[in-house]
Amino acid sequence: MTEFFASSRGFVVLLLLFAIGAAGSLLFNKNDRQANYWSNLFACAGSLWGMFVAIGALVAPEPVAFTLGFSPFSLLRFSFLLDRLAAFFLFVISLIAFFCSIYAIDYVKHYYGKYGIGTLGFFYNIFIAGMLLVASAANGLFFLVAWEIMSVASFFLVIHDRDEQENIRAGLLYLIMTHLGTAFIIAAFLLLYRSTGSFDFSAIQSGGAAISPVVKNAVFVLSLIGFGTKAGIIPLHVWLPAAHPAAPSHISGLMSGVMIKTGIYMMIRVFLDLLAPFPLWWGVVLLIAGAVSALLGVLYALAEHDIKKLLAYHSIENIGIILLGLGSALTFLSLQLPTLALLGLVASLFHTLNHATFKSLLFLGAGAVINQTHTRNMEELGGLIRLMPQTALLFLTGSMAISALPPFNGFFSEWLTFQSLFQGIAATDSRTIWVFVIAAGSLAFTGGLALACFVKAFGAVFLARPRSNEAQHAREPSFFMLAGMWPLAALSLLFGIVSGYVANILQDVAGTLSVFQGFPSPFLLAETGRISAGGFSFVSPPVVFLLLLIALFAVFTAFNFLFFKKQKTTFGPTWDCGADLTPRMEITSTGFARSIILIFKGIMKPTMLKSVECRDGETRYLPKSREIRLGISNIYDTCLYKPAQDLALRFSLYARKMQSGLINMYILYILAALLGALYFSL
Amino acid sequence: MIRLLRKTVATPSPLISIDPSACERVDISVVGREIEDHVKRLFRGSLAIRQVDAGSDNAAEQELVALSNPFYDVERFGVHFVASPRHADMLMATGPVARNMAEALRRTYAATPDPKFVVALGDDAIDGGIFRGSYAVYDAVKNVIPVDYEIAGDPPSPRAILCALLKILETIGANSLN
Repeated sequence: MTEFFASSRGFVVLLLLFAIGAAGSLLFNKNDRQANYWSNLFACAGSLWGMFVAIGALVAPEPVAFTLGFSPFSLLRFSFLLDRLAAFFLFVISLIAFFCSIYAIDYVKHYYGKYGIGTLGFFYNIFIAGMLLVASAANGLFFLVAWEIMSVASFFLVIHDRDEQENIRAGLLYLIMTHLGTAFIIAAFLLLYRSTGSFDFSAIQSGGAAISPVVKNAVFVLSLIGFGTKAGIIPLHVWLPAAHPAAPSHISGLMSGVMIKTGIYMMIRVFLDLLAPFPLWWGVVLLIAGAVSALLGVLYALAEHDIKKLLAYHSIENIGIILLGLGSALTFLSLQLPTLALLGLVASLFHTLNHATFKSLLFLGAGAVINQTHTRNMEELGGLIRLMPQTALLFLTGSMAISALPPFNGFFSEWLTFQSLFQGIAATDSRTIWVFVIAAGSLAFTGGLALACFVKAFGAVFLARPRSNEAQHAREPSFFMLAGMWPLAALSLLFGIVSGYVANILQDVAGTLSVFQGFPSPFLLAETGRISAGGFSFVSPPVVFLLLLIALFAVFTAFNFLFFKKQKTTFGPTWDCGADLTPRMEITSTGFARSIILIFKGIMKPTMLKSVECRDGETRYLPKSREIRLGISNIYDTCLYKPAQDLALRFSLYARKMQSGLINMYILYILAALLGALYFSL
Repeated sequence: MIRLLRKTVATPSPLISIDPSACERVDISVVGREIEDHVKRLFRGSLAIRQVDAGSDNAAEQELVALSNPFYDVERFGVHFVASPRHADMLMATGPVARNMAEALRRTYAATPDPKFVVALGDDAIDGGIFRGSYAVYDAVKNVIPVDYEIAGDPPSPRAILCALLKILETIGANSLN
């Protein structure tokens, strides 16, 4: 049975499901209800099928490779390769897409009559199919086509809510940034083609030894920038905090949960699979990029009071953590320490899976809140735990997982990342030890700040009292939205408890890469569900889980039967000294984060706007209202993008001198270009 | 309903009225020492009182303030006036309970932890005094919250309050022995 799924026919069925979903959704464009059910049910079916395909490819003894159809161009082949790495990413994409599609059935209902559901469903199906193609393509040109399908479809999804000018601007920024990235990727593939004479991944891989080091390094830099733009590495991250809040929430969940991971997938594919062996500095660069992204991402998240922007910055942070694992893998490989490299790669793959589950859960939870309250500003929310208890519990689960608290999954993947960094400190010499020390320090720091940030987010959104009228009238979301979130929360816990087994599977996934061939001794050992990093250290997730349960139970019983045995507990209102408690007495999220932001004011350059309106303008006694706005100045715009734009403009001014507007001048240019082309082709 | 009514009629009023006119000539230090003994025994050394002004004319407040001056100095006997009902063992309510203060009085009562004692201080607090029958008042503290003890006087002098406090403590002590 699994052979059928992981074959060309199984894959065609997969693509057909999404194609039917997309086409039918357009046909039903007139009827929002039909378009909604049609597109999302086919997206569900397709993602479910995708999971089977992925599992089939995971258990297959050999990588599944096939070519579909024929192409009119000799260099473009629609060839697919489902090795275990691709299958793992297919699985992650399908898993998250499945739950997002269930959620979407009820979520998109609030767009009925406002925006066309048909086009949303069309681009949604195309988007998922595009991501699946990206993860399975085995030809450079075909990959670029799939990459464009994914990017353009997601652009249209981002601007779906198109009445707000801000969303259009966000979409435009996303489109520009993603195409900037694609330009770098195209350049990288063209360089590879020049050296190997083919766009096929297999040909590039076999011809890898012939590529000169200079070209290799150029390809590395180009693809790091190209894929890093999609993944959201600082300073290429600027589109993430703009595009995620603009998109509908299930789209944000998919984009943040899995789309940015396609950048990680391609980095693994190109660096580890196609270009190995490589020099030491590649890994060091990745480690530094990861450390910077993780630390700055979480700091910017702390400063944010838009809940979806906050989550977007956390995506940047988590991409940084994934890069720490990947970077240590690359460093170990160039230092001839393949077993340690395997550990680093497993850590980064595991964190990819975990981040996909809890980040999509958080985005879906945020979507449920925004759907009810119509605001993304956390300062206007609050007190939702009484009105939306299930959503609050789900969001809390996601928050605990992303803050790396055991027994949830985030803890174990960050633990693995820590292990690989510590191994780096222990096993390497003075050439690289400093970067591992910095990376481990920044990861530790990131963990603490992430916890503070989610205390802030959960507290401001769900605790205390509603700060606005909208927040007072929130209700629990409807059935399908909850049905999309509960399994994700359950998976966050499950992947934590069985993380020993998951790590074992991921070790098999990573071990099939060609660079790890011939090293039979696995570094990670998972016996009876426990992860052990080569005798250096180990952790047993089920035991951690049981101990936590026992501790909770013990504290509960101790309080109930020892301390409160003789006392009667009565519940009354809070003593408010006679005044009425108002939401204005609550700590705001800005106030909560202020102290941390001010510590880092050297990096973050906070801007504080104070304005006081007085009853008497002349004496300025008796202020009527005070307003304090704490913001973060966008140093990337002022220091990187604006100068680059100015430079481009200056060059354009020179180039304009060529444009004389005379037809005979243009004919001369054409003649010169023709002669040049003839000369170079001879 | 009928059962509730019968119960209301059958249960004797727990309210104990104390007439402090008899103790005009007592020695403060003697009374104080007895209060101290009772407070030590019943309240582990410290009796915390929260005073609530429920629309009083401030006469009773003047006398209560006088309790803390160097002459009377009740703190040496272990009696404290506290700022929050959360810390209080005893509520001392004064005034005929103006309509605007009724809710505040109820909330203060709810915020005081059990076991608690409520004392209505002054004639206004007992039956409205000179304000009785006004549209603006509820006439008595007991109309708003359950009252355990009443101290008469318009207003009672600090000496009378001390004396009455001793009698209240004696009653509490006797009740707790039963």
